[in-house]
Amino acid sequence: MNSSAPMPESYYRLLEKIQAVDFVLVDLTLYLDTHPNDFETIKQFNQLAYESKQLKASFEEQFGPLLQYGGSFSQYPWDWKQAPWPWQV
Amino acid sequence: MHTSYKCYHPYISPFDPCKPIQTKCYSTPPNLYMTFQPTNLRQYDTPYQALCHGTLWPDLFDPYPNVRKEGTS
Repeated sequence: MNSSAPMPESYYRLLEKIQAVDFVLVDLTLYLDTHPNDFETIKQFNQLAYESKQLKASFEEQFGPLLQYGGSFSQYPWDWKQAPWPWQV
Repeated sequence: MHTSYKCYHPYISPFDPCKPIQTKCYSTPPNLYMTFQPTNLRQYDTPYQALCHGTLWPDLFDPYPNVRKEGTS
C-alpha cells in the first residue's frame, strides 16, 4: 500500500467507532469498580468488549495491526512500521 | 436541577489599586450532588454520543461553560 496516500474514509469511520466503544468501556470499568454486583452492567460490559474485539479485528484485517508483541496478527510482509502512526492519523 | 456553575461577588476595597473583580464563578458538576451513583441510570443511546458528551450517563453530563462575564477572572 502506498504509504504517502491518504487513508480511505472507512479507515476513519472504523477508528471512530473503536474510539467510541472503548470510551464506553472505560466508563463502565470505572462504574463497575464501585458497583461490582451490578449484573446488568456487567452483561453490557461483556457485550461491548466483544463488539470492541470484533471492530478491532475487522480494522486490522484491512489496515494492519493496532498492537504489537502479539497483540495483533501480522500481515505479509511485516508492516507494523508503516504509516500512518497514531500521531499521523 | 443543579446549575453547572455558581458565582459570588467578592468584597471590593475602596483602596484596591487594581481593576476590581466584581464576579467570580466556579464549576459545580453534577457528580457533586450525587453521592453514590445509583444503578440503572439512563444512558446515552450510542457510544458515539457518550464519547461526545464525555460521559455515559446524561445525569452526569456537564458542559463546563467558560463563564467570562465582565469583571470575572
